[in-house]
Amino acid sequence: MNLKNLFEGTTKADRILFIVLIFLSFSGIVFMKEVLPEGKTVRIEVNGHPVYLLPVEKDRVVSVDGPEGETVIEIKNHKVRITKSPCYNKLCIHQGWIESGAIVCLPNRVVITIGNHKENPPIPPFDKGGDGGIFDIDAVTG
Amino acid sequence: MKEKFKVKSLKFKVQTKTFYALYNFCRCYLAVIPCLTETAPYLLRGNPVSFVPLDSCFRRNDNTTPVSLHRKLFLLLFTLHCSLFTVLFACTSHQDKIYLKSRILMDTLVTISVVSDSRDHAEKGIDAAFSEIETLEKLTNFFSPDSEISHINRNAGISEVKVSPETLELLDKALFISKKTEGAFDITIGPVITLYDFYKKIKPEDLELKKKVSFVNYKDLLIDRNKSTVFLKKSNMLIDPGGISKGYAADKAVETLKKLGIHAGLISVAGDIKAFGLRPDGRPWRIGIRNPRIPPNPPLVKGGGGGFLDDIMATIELKDMAISTSGDYERYFILNGRRYHHLLNPKTGYPAEGCQSVSIITKEGVFTDAFASGIFILGHERGLKVLEEMGFEGVIVDSTGKIHITPQIRGKVEFKKPV
Repeated sequence: MNLKNLFEGTTKADRILFIVLIFLSFSGIVFMKEVLPEGKTVRIEVNGHPVYLLPVEKDRVVSVDGPEGETVIEIKNHKVRITKSPCYNKLCIHQGWIESGAIVCLPNRVVITIGNHKENPPIPPFDKGGDGGIFDIDAVTG
Repeated sequence: MKEKFKVKSLKFKVQTKTFYALYNFCRCYLAVIPCLTETAPYLLRGNPVSFVPLDSCFRRNDNTTPVSLHRKLFLLLFTLHCSLFTVLFACTSHQDKIYLKSRILMDTLVTISVVSDSRDHAEKGIDAAFSEIETLEKLTNFFSPDSEISHINRNAGISEVKVSPETLELLDKALFISKKTEGAFDITIGPVITLYDFYKKIKPEDLELKKKVSFVNYKDLLIDRNKSTVFLKKSNMLIDPGGISKGYAADKAVETLKKLGIHAGLISVAGDIKAFGLRPDGRPWRIGIRNPRIPPNPPLVKGGGGGFLDDIMATIELKDMAISTSGDYERYFILNGRRYHHLLNPKTGYPAEGCQSVSIITKEGVFTDAFASGIFILGHERGLKVLEEMGFEGVIVDSTGKIHITPQIRGKVEFKKPV
């Protein structure tokens, strides 16, 4: 069987079907990625050890014990914040709600990140889509 | 027997048999193709798909007469699909990606990003690099009684202490930097720094400060490289490696990653950053330099942990280079209108007042970290001379807010506002 014989046995409709199926293959990839959510998660680490990996969609309040005491974390409306912390400066509480990136409480050694933790690491908050402009930053010094 | 689709003026007038064939073909397509593509997990998890035996796709409902959808055409399409998705899968799964992990080490947030085409390889490298930093932390932690640094401090004025090659190298480099900065960077600053508490807003009395400053002198730190020993000549002397150990840790982490075959990455130990290789898109790593006079709100966590773009005064692209910034905004309190920050002049014991921030760029993190502190204390005029002598690049914001840059860096730094 060669390719020429194979195409001789096809009609115009066969070929149109072939093109449609190829198109569907590509559009399927786009469709799946756009329509089905990637499942953002909230990862809570204490002292370098993961304690919770929670979906950001479900509202809840969790507490973790760090070296200084209890840190309370609230997940609501796809956002995360720390509501209670034993640290002296309360910078983590003042940071308020985040939708991406991280909240870090150094004294109590709690790190909270939002991202697709299964597929990709959480994206640093300075990355604004890789446009190569001044806002597309990998890290900050200072 | 062959069955053909009939086409009239671009309108399909599909015969019953043809429609049936097309229907079965689509069922087969839906059943088989998802298995071959990366979308299969979504379909299988989210929208269950019933698998149809391939054979049934070519049979009528009565399971007798095969539907004459061209088998050859089907096989051709099927092969093409397999090839297409194999190629697509190969393209997507083996692409270089950035893998990133953060941990709290050395009392700060350490973020390691590596470029790899394999998650396992990346994680192995990142974990090894964290382990290296952890080891260094254990050796050099000023506050841990078990560290080698504490051991040296306890034996100040008493006896020399045998140390690991890492501690020896760190202290050796610290002495070199002290000499180059004429003592502006001094690793024996310990007796003075312990008098301040920047969180509780405590500053020492003048008399107490004067007394302790007499114990600060890097020339009284003696290193015997042959014996691998360190000795502090006077009792009450204290080594505080806080101004150099983070940059050194970044260097060591990069060494570890390279040994494991990682060709590109970014290590951020607080504001001490070391970049090697290129990003997956072929661009150098872009680092933001924080504006020293815009208080971050929410608090900016260095190393890509959080913050707002308003906090950034400039960006610089780095490849195989390190950058560190020392600023008077990092740990400070205001008392009676005066800013008391952690960058102390080793000769007076008081916070240096010549600069708001100093960023240093060169190949080694150990140099960027310590020179940033030293040049902050020297001030911009003397600082720029030291940078020129060393061949380093730098951005200095003086006490009036004016920005000074080394000539080599002109054009490489992108400022938000013209300088």
